[in-house]
Amino acid sequence: MAEIFIDNVRYEFEGKPLVLQFMLDNGLDHPFFCYHPSLSIPANCRQCYVEAGTPVFNRETNSYELDESGERVIRFFPKLMTACSLEASDGMVIKTHRTSELVKRAHKDTLEFILVNHPLDCPICDQAGECPLQIQTYKYGPEGSRFEHKKVHKPKRIKLGPRVILDAERCINCTRCVRFTDEISKSHQLTIISRGDKNYPATAPGMEFDDAYSLNTVDICPVGALTSADFRFKARVWEMNQTPGVDVTNGKGCNIDVWTRDNLVLRITPRYNAKVNDHWMPDFGREDYRRMNENRISRPEVNLDGDKIKSSWNNAELTFTEAIEDVNPSEILVIGSAFSSLEDNYAISAYFNRLGVNDVYFTPHIEAGSGDGFLISDDHYPNTNGCRALGFNEVSAAELKSKITDKSVKAIISLEDDLIGRGVINAGDLKGKFFAYFGSNNNETSKAADLVVPITCSVETISSYINVDGILQRTVPAKETIYTDRKLNLEMSLGRLDRYGTKFDNWVSDSNKVDCIPTWEFLERISRNQNSSLGFNESGDVFEAISSNIESLLGIDYNKIDELQGVQLEISSNKTEV
Amino acid sequence: MSTTYTFSKEDLAEIEKIKAKYPDKKSPVMPVLWLAQDKFGHVNDDVQKLVAETLDLPPAHVFGVATFYTQYYKKEMGKFVIDVCTSFSCQACGAYDILHYIEDQLGIKAGETTADGKFSIQSVECLGACGYAPMLQITNGVYCNHLTKEKVDVILDKLKKDEMPAFERIPFPQHTTAKS
Amino acid sequence: MLQDWKNYQPLLIPNIPNLHRMDVYEKNGGYEQLKKVLTDSEYSPEKVTNIVKDANIRGRGGAGFSAGLKWSFMPKPDGGPRYIAANGDESEPGTFKDRQIFEYNPHLFIEGAIIAGYAMSITAVYVYIRGEYRDWINMMQKAVDDAYAKGYLGKNILGTDFSIDMYVHSGAGAYICGEESSLMESLEGKRGYPRVKPPFPAQKGLWGRPTTINNIETLANVPLVIKNGSAWYKAIGAETHPGPVLYGISGHINKPGIYEYPTGMLVSDLINEVCGGVRGGKKVKALIPGGSSTPPLRGDQLEGVRMDADSLRTAGSMMGTAGMLILDEDTDMVDFLWRVSLFYHHESCGQCTPCRDGTGFLEKTLIKIKNGEGEMRDLDLLLDLCTQMEGRTICALADAAAWPVRYTVTRFREDFEKRVKNTVYALA
Repeated sequence: MAEIFIDNVRYEFEGKPLVLQFMLDNGLDHPFFCYHPSLSIPANCRQCYVEAGTPVFNRETNSYELDESGERVIRFFPKLMTACSLEASDGMVIKTHRTSELVKRAHKDTLEFILVNHPLDCPICDQAGECPLQIQTYKYGPEGSRFEHKKVHKPKRIKLGPRVILDAERCINCTRCVRFTDEISKSHQLTIISRGDKNYPATAPGMEFDDAYSLNTVDICPVGALTSADFRFKARVWEMNQTPGVDVTNGKGCNIDVWTRDNLVLRITPRYNAKVNDHWMPDFGREDYRRMNENRISRPEVNLDGDKIKSSWNNAELTFTEAIEDVNPSEILVIGSAFSSLEDNYAISAYFNRLGVNDVYFTPHIEAGSGDGFLISDDHYPNTNGCRALGFNEVSAAELKSKITDKSVKAIISLEDDLIGRGVINAGDLKGKFFAYFGSNNNETSKAADLVVPITCSVETISSYINVDGILQRTVPAKETIYTDRKLNLEMSLGRLDRYGTKFDNWVSDSNKVDCIPTWEFLERISRNQNSSLGFNESGDVFEAISSNIESLLGIDYNKIDELQGVQLEISSNKTEV
Repeated sequence: MSTTYTFSKEDLAEIEKIKAKYPDKKSPVMPVLWLAQDKFGHVNDDVQKLVAETLDLPPAHVFGVATFYTQYYKKEMGKFVIDVCTSFSCQACGAYDILHYIEDQLGIKAGETTADGKFSIQSVECLGACGYAPMLQITNGVYCNHLTKEKVDVILDKLKKDEMPAFERIPFPQHTTAKS
Repeated sequence: MLQDWKNYQPLLIPNIPNLHRMDVYEKNGGYEQLKKVLTDSEYSPEKVTNIVKDANIRGRGGAGFSAGLKWSFMPKPDGGPRYIAANGDESEPGTFKDRQIFEYNPHLFIEGAIIAGYAMSITAVYVYIRGEYRDWINMMQKAVDDAYAKGYLGKNILGTDFSIDMYVHSGAGAYICGEESSLMESLEGKRGYPRVKPPFPAQKGLWGRPTTINNIETLANVPLVIKNGSAWYKAIGAETHPGPVLYGISGHINKPGIYEYPTGMLVSDLINEVCGGVRGGKKVKALIPGGSSTPPLRGDQLEGVRMDADSLRTAGSMMGTAGMLILDEDTDMVDFLWRVSLFYHHESCGQCTPCRDGTGFLEKTLIKIKNGEGEMRDLDLLLDLCTQMEGRTICALADAAAWPVRYTVTRFREDFEKRVKNTVYALA
């Protein structure tokens, strides 16, 4: 196998890796700004310098030339090389800042130049704390500045588009944002304008940067030049918890990081997954954090003579049990949801199967042509394939409506899906029937329900989804409910404020926690009230039941999902016609 | 005050000819910007937009290109743009004196335009007439070489009367010495 | 051969009135070399390349790389388009030679470019001329049109199956576009950002196709070589850097202008004999031999220095574009250097960090010194900044910006020391 020597350590490689990426893959820290693994390589920041050399090969003897001490003779490139654009070759020798004073000096030199025109405003900059420039300046930069002149002044606080703000003075001209719009989102809305140190990125005059993926430029900006209009000045990054999750705003299931502080989700950013979304996600998926914080259903609600009133969990459980026991199983219609997780859907079907209700129905929320073939799918819901995997009856909106309005149906149980809001049925269709709704957010459908059971949303409990491409993924709880505690739940991340703060600190507000429980927990309680048990004590139990009962998921558990960064399942891409 | 800019049929025919010279659709952007500037006197935001539409290119791309090259006027300039070369050969031969003299004569500074919109002055980089320094160029066109204050007066007088100085053919010195 | 320069008859721009006209050019043996190469079966493309290689025409654009060798880097034709980009950007301060060819002898260049095109199986030549040369672009366009009319350009030239097109492309004010990869970006209608190499233009040039970039003057030498052979050419001027060259002489000199002489001319001959000496009989303080990026030489270092690559390297500079600037003893080198730095600060494309921010750092430090605010340490800072820029960017603009600073500050240090404050730092 081909070999490369980096700082006198031998590594083996296959193919033609780029030296910078190879070093990063092998856990070797190396400074860089403009390089991004998913974009073209302009090698313009000149930060990732290394010394590089190749062994001298003697064609006559068909062997490497050796010096007196028997070591290979290495011919070094006359100039420092940018590791990002340098292809590894067999026998190559690389010296980084760890072994070369010249490289160390070069890293310092480039940083000095970058900082010459970069404002010293880290204390008020959103990027501080997660800023490659800040981090690398600490690690590799000069200790002081020799620049005693005026910096170049450029426009600040420019609204490039509805979601992205530009501070041109902070820009270091890495061109990542321009390359993103040219190569990934292909909107071609950004360019670098002007020349030399007056350069900065801009849209054409009078044009908005309204790319559906515009906020990815904020993520990849290595400085605070591009910031999110929404997230700006909301929180310092070191105050927040970062928890892995899955975007549930469409069928693609982009991998995300959920950023919380004091149990409020403050922003959502994409998390790398080569199989699903690479480094990117659409802008509207990021706005989903509002759904996690706002308009939440907290505490159960019952309909009392036409008025919705908050009720105790005991009363909610009682109301549910009575209503179910009041009717024959054949008079119960159970509606699953392509919006909800596998766990929620399975729990509801498991409970009602026991009662003798064998069929669970769902209607997908797919709008042909609404996707873009990239990270926005035609499917508006994250788990259509999950419902299919669970063997639910997939019906059209009209079919579901006729089921609901069927006279023989006396009780309807519906898992989170705004059927009224999205026009499948109207409130009148439910008249005269008991309607129980399990949901996280208030909507038209919850308004029409006789019983509303507040359930956890995707960031409050472990939730698994099978995306449009058949990839099974799961979330990790990021946000506490009033019944969970991140100090006790080992899956939940514990940020600086959680670790060192106390419940009595004045920035802590219990009102950010929602009074809700997972669907399986509610149904387990009901079962126990009925002197039985579903055997569900935690999400894992539900998933274990799923994987042992559903053939296509056999042998899969949460660990495997994590390990493989999503499990590819075999799916039939289209609904099977009956 | 907004002007709408459009290309005439003749312009569009000319643009088709330009496009035929290049194998792809991005490449004609520079000659078409030139054509637009010759027609409208500048390539301001609206003209750049027109060029982008005509060539079916992203407007941002045209904007990036137009701002990279200094000869494209991104805003309206005076009728006569006086580019005084101050690069080192001209500097050595007194270009800054000439520049300041022109500034005094027109009552504006380099980078400004006279109130009547007739003259703009710019101090520019080497124009490739180093042996004929100091020199200036008028609106990306004719070169005026071997400047003296007297010669500048003549040029400015002409321009005030809307007369463009003629192209100066500078003899190749070896040809003249060979004859003598 | 060098002693004979006084009787030298110009070859690139011979003394023939109206040579820029097609009829005059043809009457004086014009396009005969093209005819010979295309119709004489002895002249295969490889042979033409070898003749040029053997003649050792070294690039006249600044780098001095062998043109024939460059041609031989082109891969074998695969039936797809292949290009020559003829570089007439000529933006290096002190350089004004190619415009003489456009004005006086454009067909010599066109003929040379077509022969080069034949040697490399080129399908189109793009002639990139700086936008400021509006009048010369028009002259060149006229000459190209004439050549098309006469059938020297276009389809099936002179009844052979060789076809080639030639297009004139106007720049628009960007020094960087004289850098070959930036020139290609500009031709492709983009911002003139130099490209990372590899891939080299011969593999992946204009529109991703094999491309060779040659200077205008370099290509104008080609018909001379074909006509008289490589041995004749190699006998002109300096041994390792032969041929005629257009010296552009400017500055404090009695008769500035463009002069055509063999390479290897004594600098002192050019100044004193050819140009009639320094104005006012003053002494030479500094010579910039080949455009603003070549290191300045002191007037007292010029003894025996010749204008060819080897002699100038020994003297501590470079041939560059042979655009010579002569500065007299009254020149303030601080002012001079500031103006050079301003140029590079203005012209940096802004792609690479060391150049984008380094050129500004240099200029601002020089303004400080020029204004009498500088200190001794600023001189060391300048040299340090040069070290931080040299060889650290995609193209050579950072080097070109750093060299004049490094060599002006070291070779004319007394001028700088005179201008800086004598600050004394007490040890705290």
